[in-house]
Amino acid sequence: MISKWLDERLELQKFKDKFLTKTFPTHPSFLFGEIALFSFITLVITGIFLGFLYEPSIGKVSLFGAMVPAAYASVVRIDLLPMGIIIRRIHHWSAMIMIASIIAHLARVYFTSAYRKPREINWLIGLGLLGITLGAAFTGYLLPYSQFSVTATSIAYYITESVPWIGDWLARLIFAGEFPAHATVPRFFFLHVMLIPVLLLSLIGLHLLILVKQKHTEPGANRNRKEAQAGRRLIGIPVWPEQNYISVSLFLFLMFVVVLMATYIPLNPIELYGPPSPEATVMRPDWYFLPIYGFLKLIPGDLSFTIAGGKISPEAIGGVFFPGFLVMLLAAIPFLDRPKEPQNYIENPLHRPFMTSLGIAGATLLFMTTLSGYIDVFHIAPSAMAIYVIVAIAAAWVISYLLLRIYSRSGKKGEHVKN
Amino acid sequence: MVENNSESRDGKVTRRQFALGFIGAAGLAAFGSLLSFLKVLTPAKEGSGYVPTVKSGDKLVYAKGSRQGSLLKASDLQIGDAVLAYPKGKTKNVANIVQLIRLKESEYKPPTRVNETDEGFVAYSAVCTHLGCIVGWKRNNKDPEASIIECPCHNSMYDPALGAKVIGGPAPAPLPQIGVKVSKDGTLVFTSGFSGPIGPKV
Repeated sequence: MISKWLDERLELQKFKDKFLTKTFPTHPSFLFGEIALFSFITLVITGIFLGFLYEPSIGKVSLFGAMVPAAYASVVRIDLLPMGIIIRRIHHWSAMIMIASIIAHLARVYFTSAYRKPREINWLIGLGLLGITLGAAFTGYLLPYSQFSVTATSIAYYITESVPWIGDWLARLIFAGEFPAHATVPRFFFLHVMLIPVLLLSLIGLHLLILVKQKHTEPGANRNRKEAQAGRRLIGIPVWPEQNYISVSLFLFLMFVVVLMATYIPLNPIELYGPPSPEATVMRPDWYFLPIYGFLKLIPGDLSFTIAGGKISPEAIGGVFFPGFLVMLLAAIPFLDRPKEPQNYIENPLHRPFMTSLGIAGATLLFMTTLSGYIDVFHIAPSAMAIYVIVAIAAAWVISYLLLRIYSRSGKKGEHVKN
Repeated sequence: MVENNSESRDGKVTRRQFALGFIGAAGLAAFGSLLSFLKVLTPAKEGSGYVPTVKSGDKLVYAKGSRQGSLLKASDLQIGDAVLAYPKGKTKNVANIVQLIRLKESEYKPPTRVNETDEGFVAYSAVCTHLGCIVGWKRNNKDPEASIIECPCHNSMYDPALGAKVIGGPAPAPLPQIGVKVSKDGTLVFTSGFSGPIGPKV
């Protein structure tokens, strides 16, 4: 009845015919993006709950007799509410899962060459989404205003300040003055709950709109199926109803996993960290910032020089140029690996020795720099670790390239014989 | 309709081209004027960061732990021990925090300012010159004399016997030293200001 009422007014049937029949290829690796989207939805819902209770201020208030920043006190009070700490942990775990699934999605698209023409725009939007999601995580770090938050953000402040030429201006723009300024927490709160979500939402919309327009890529094996031989562009299942069942099941399963983790695995225990104080404890950031953190440890302190009045300090190299270089390289990839014709089939990574081995080298770089964050645990000197990192990357690149080369050669020969 | 074509004949600017150019220029100017708002969004520094207020004659107190705020005594520290300390009454300003260390007096070599150490006590700013974390003390239990200052954030290491010279990690400069002496009642007193600016050298 209601659907009829709505259909008479909104022409739902037309919408359904046009969009809900969109074909969705059936491969599990195509679901990483969906996991990221569902994590984002979870983050918005739990974020609304937290937003009602959080107080973005570092003015001192009394909490159990101690004078602590209001932001810290409000998060402690959230933790004391029925289910409060669970919801805060669901928020934090979802953020981690969102970042992990975006990285997995990026890796899938990279290794199967789904970024190639005509999908360069969506590749760039995807990179933007990753960057903005990391921005959301970074601004979220500070909000509980614990000892951990303040130390981590203070480090980020000096990294920002180390950006050559514009560092001072940029730091004051992001941190609203010199951290820890009174205006920093309100500005981060605004960025975290307003500007960044709006940007994310718009870019996700654009990402999906372009996806609907361009359609998915599909596995290369589909080329040989008879539907494709008959001229059909995309083989798979329609969004409604089949893919919808998969998506809803996936969302519910994801919720199950997240709630389970939130219930049993403690995360960001701000009561343990305590309010900001002069402490000397080991501070490691969440895993997705570990490559930058580890890289910072490797650069010798006397490595600094000046170009055109801009000081290139070790912090700028580790915190700005290193991630900046990785992002630029990723952004350039669809413009370097450029086929003449638009590509709609993905490729087997094992048949792309150069690009796949480059990807493996990149993954090794991230892994080894992450490991460098633990040199104090392993008692390795930074200079030795730097050599291990370089050797590991070179070895991963060369060995994987040679192996793939041999494999793809033998594969091609086999095909040739068959034909 | 000929003059409406964007391509002009004999190189003259058409009405449409002129109008589009005008709109474009106006849009650019409007956008440019918006850029001035960026200045509003970047408040000036309040000058609050890392301006030490410690003076010669200030007494040292514990910076943390159960004895936070109580006076430090020379007898509290054995050789190879270290503690974070503030000047009494000036504990709100993190630029004032120092790492107070006790080694053998004969251990100190230049560039340590030897005339600013007393009975084996030396004090350095505890704000790491890398990215501003508070440094820690890595006690060497086998050989207390060989203990070092280590920052927990990115493992910058400083040699307390050599003027907090950087001996490892990413720190770009040594920690500034500040003079201390043991007064007659056994408490510790600052005898100078810091030997250099506090905090990260970015």
